[in-house]
Amino acid sequence: MTAEEIRTRIEQALPGSNVQVRDTTGGGDHFEALVSAPQFAGKTTVEQHRMVYSILGREMAGPIHALALRTSAAQT
Amino acid sequence: MSSVKERIQSLIDKNRILVFMKGNRAIPMCGFSATVVQVLDRLGAEYETVDVLEDPEIREGVKMFSNWPTIPQVYIDGKFIGGCDILRDMYQRGELAPLVRAEATAG
Repeated sequence: MTAEEIRTRIEQALPGSNVQVRDTTGGGDHFEALVSAPQFAGKTTVEQHRMVYSILGREMAGPIHALALRTSAAQT
Repeated sequence: MSSVKERIQSLIDKNRILVFMKGNRAIPMCGFSATVVQVLDRLGAEYETVDVLEDPEIREGVKMFSNWPTIPQVYIDGKFIGGCDILRDMYQRGELAPLVRAEATAG
């Protein structure tokens, strides 16, 4: 799993989102993601994180060992 | 015989602040779990921990229970609060202290 794959996956699932993903160790299993998306509007942080986790689905249970997440509703 | 779901619910009911984590308060076995312990300790919170590494059934069960794929997980007053990122953000915004403190006044 690469940071780019994660970014693409999230951006496709959340059109109009702004996504930044960093592989924190270079090992392809620990990541940090910043996601700003219009779909997050009116949702709690827990709900926003659940949306990202569900987009990544199975990967969360295997290839992705850790994903530090920051989410926010898009300004525009 | 109780299902894992019932075991988890009962743990949450019995402990006002409960952390499902890897390792324990003294020796967290993961950086994210360590952060949660650090934040709660800094606020002087009284909390219990469940070491999911000691209990594979709870380790997988709590992910289903909370609809949350990662550990640690924090419950306060029976409500799922979030994992490490959310807890740290709430702490930094000053939102966690009142939640934790309610304990003293309810006491």
